[in-house]
Amino acid sequence: MRRMLALLLCCLSLPAMALSVTFINPGKHDEVYWLTATRAMEAAASDLGIRLQVLYAEREHPRALALARQIIALPAAQRPDYVVFSNDYGTAPELLRLFEAAGIRSFMAFSGRDDQPGQPAIGLPRMHFRHWLGSLEPRAEDAGYLTARALIERGRRAGLPRVNGKLPLLAIGGDRSTPSSLLRSEGMRRAVTEAGDVVLLQEVYAGWNQQRAEEQGGWLFRRYPQARLLWAGNDLMAFGAMDAWRQRGGQPGKDAFFSGINTSAQALAALRDDSLSVLAGGHFIAGAWSLVMLYDYHHGRDFADEGLELVRPMFTLFNDRSAAQFMQRYGKLDFSRVDFRRYSKQHNPGLRRYNFDFRQLL
Amino acid sequence: MVTAAYRPLAHVLIRRIMLLATACALLLSAVQGVLTYRQVQQRFEATLQDIVSSNLPMLSVGIWDIEAEAVRRQVETIVAKPEIGYARLNVATGQVFEAGDAALLRQQPSRRFEIPPPRGSGEALGTLLIVVQPALLYQALTQALLAIFLGYLLLTLLICSLVAYVLRREVERPLRGMADFAGRLAPSSLTVPLQLSRPPRPHHDEIDLVARGFATLQAAISRHIDTLDQQVEERTRQLDAALSDIRELSIRDGLTGCYNRALLSERLPSELERAQRYQRPLAVVFCDADHFKPVNDRFGHLAGDEVLRAIALRINSQLRQDIDWVVRFGGEEFVIVLPETDLAAALVTAERLRAAISTSVILADGRTVQITASLGVAAFQSGEDVESLLNRADTQLYLAKQGGRNRVMG
Repeated sequence: MRRMLALLLCCLSLPAMALSVTFINPGKHDEVYWLTATRAMEAAASDLGIRLQVLYAEREHPRALALARQIIALPAAQRPDYVVFSNDYGTAPELLRLFEAAGIRSFMAFSGRDDQPGQPAIGLPRMHFRHWLGSLEPRAEDAGYLTARALIERGRRAGLPRVNGKLPLLAIGGDRSTPSSLLRSEGMRRAVTEAGDVVLLQEVYAGWNQQRAEEQGGWLFRRYPQARLLWAGNDLMAFGAMDAWRQRGGQPGKDAFFSGINTSAQALAALRDDSLSVLAGGHFIAGAWSLVMLYDYHHGRDFADEGLELVRPMFTLFNDRSAAQFMQRYGKLDFSRVDFRRYSKQHNPGLRRYNFDFRQLL
Repeated sequence: MVTAAYRPLAHVLIRRIMLLATACALLLSAVQGVLTYRQVQQRFEATLQDIVSSNLPMLSVGIWDIEAEAVRRQVETIVAKPEIGYARLNVATGQVFEAGDAALLRQQPSRRFEIPPPRGSGEALGTLLIVVQPALLYQALTQALLAIFLGYLLLTLLICSLVAYVLRREVERPLRGMADFAGRLAPSSLTVPLQLSRPPRPHHDEIDLVARGFATLQAAISRHIDTLDQQVEERTRQLDAALSDIRELSIRDGLTGCYNRALLSERLPSELERAQRYQRPLAVVFCDADHFKPVNDRFGHLAGDEVLRAIALRINSQLRQDIDWVVRFGGEEFVIVLPETDLAAALVTAERLRAAISTSVILADGRTVQITASLGVAAFQSGEDVESLLNRADTQLYLAKQGGRNRVMG
């Protein structure tokens, strides 16, 4: 009864509190990964009473800047309290400048600060850009490392032919400028180095695009006929490479092995039918966690004591069972069963440190 | 003589200039054509160098990184160069990219480039086939030749119009003026100077020379005609003098200087007519020297002549100048015509004549001849003719001879 009353009070006070957030989604509105991220954020916003608006840049980074200018152009009363954006394709400095000039508080999610050589450093949050509160990014390096390590293991188990005693590996990365993309590749390289019996023949970049990955896969398989392991920066690019392999008469998962990242239904299905050998994911939740942090911050519980730029492990390596479980729970992209208030310091005064691991949601 | 069709000098000049300009334009076109061809070849070579130095490395990176879109763009960039007509990239892994007009491959020579891997050593990533764009050569040639032809056309037109203008103004018009002038030239207007309406100028030219020649010619002809006139005048005067001499001879007696019978028969009728018309008196005197034959016989014919001359002189001395006149009628016989004189006055005059004649004549050799004369006088009677009047006077002379000579009868 008391709880009900508190909830009621909470609901009544909502308009007065007026916590509103706009998320500039760098992806396409129908792109599974970014749609999943949006859905998780919407579930969190719903739990926390946040008014959330999502704008899509449709993977055209100048559009992210245009959306930011639209937000700035709004009358003060209609502006959001916070803007969440991702530092995709190095757009952060310009976005930060725009929001700082307009006095809008911002938070970076998914991809964090990445000082490019030759450009002025943007500094730490709340220093040069006072309205930039901080950032939360999944430890992207994990994704590359976990998938590459598992892929190499799969190759060893299959007893693939070796060249000069080493297993040849091909890689298709996302792009050359997004930090999370570079970190995934970095993780993949660390796994190759650690393995010792693997040689990375070449890494190309397909821009997260399945079609381009298919084309590049075709070239790569002809250029390196001995390669049987292909690491991809996301699920779509893995599918593209698999299509290219099939066009050469191969059978993915039997005579060649592929790894991908992301928890799309298609990827999970491919993992279960064994055409896709390795899959990691779960980092889409970073947006929802960001909303939890902003909610707490808005209510006076700053995350500064944990650090302004949080990099947390969020990736999970899926296996057949966990894939089935994920499909069963979130297959329809419905995250309403997760109570995000449980992870809020405002709602759980005893919580000292945020736990953002995805495994707890499975 | 057959007259050829008229063709102005300007026409001839312009035709020559056009021919020359066309020949020059053709020659220059040939030279320019060769130069342009070489220039285009050089451009093509430079473009190939450019492709090798800039496009090939990009292609190499694009192929190595499997950026198909970038590779496609690079191939299109190569073909976008005006010198390149067609480019085909054969990637070692089997992919083919091409741009431009593939048909050129069969018509034009091609160049082949191996594409090295971006990090230097290793197998070639593919080969690039490049075919020259022939349209560029045609275009460059067309432009160059068009410029030459247009330039020459303009220059020729300008020169021709200048030639036509100068010739018309400086030659044709003055020459036409001269031709017209010469055509109008007549003896009466020979001295009229040639007037050419030309603006004043500091120098003189061929036209001025011709004009001056005209003036000289005119002056010479004019002088020549003047001389002829003088000669004609002189000859006419001489002729007149001769004519008047002849006339004098025809009407005068050579010995005495008196009029002869021919004049009498010519002039007396008109005297009679006048007397008749104006009812004026007129008298005629017949005078005959007495015994003149013995004088001739005694003193010689020369002396006779001398005597006759003396008689004539004496007669004339007694007459009115320019009114009365004397005719030697024959031998020693004289007829004196006295206009405006009636019978009485005539008788007086006759008496005076007789007296004048009747004095001795001193011959040139000093001898003296005594001589007398008989005179018959008749006055004109109205309606009378010449013959009648002379007959009557002659009758009076006869009477005077019959009456004893040295007397006047009337």
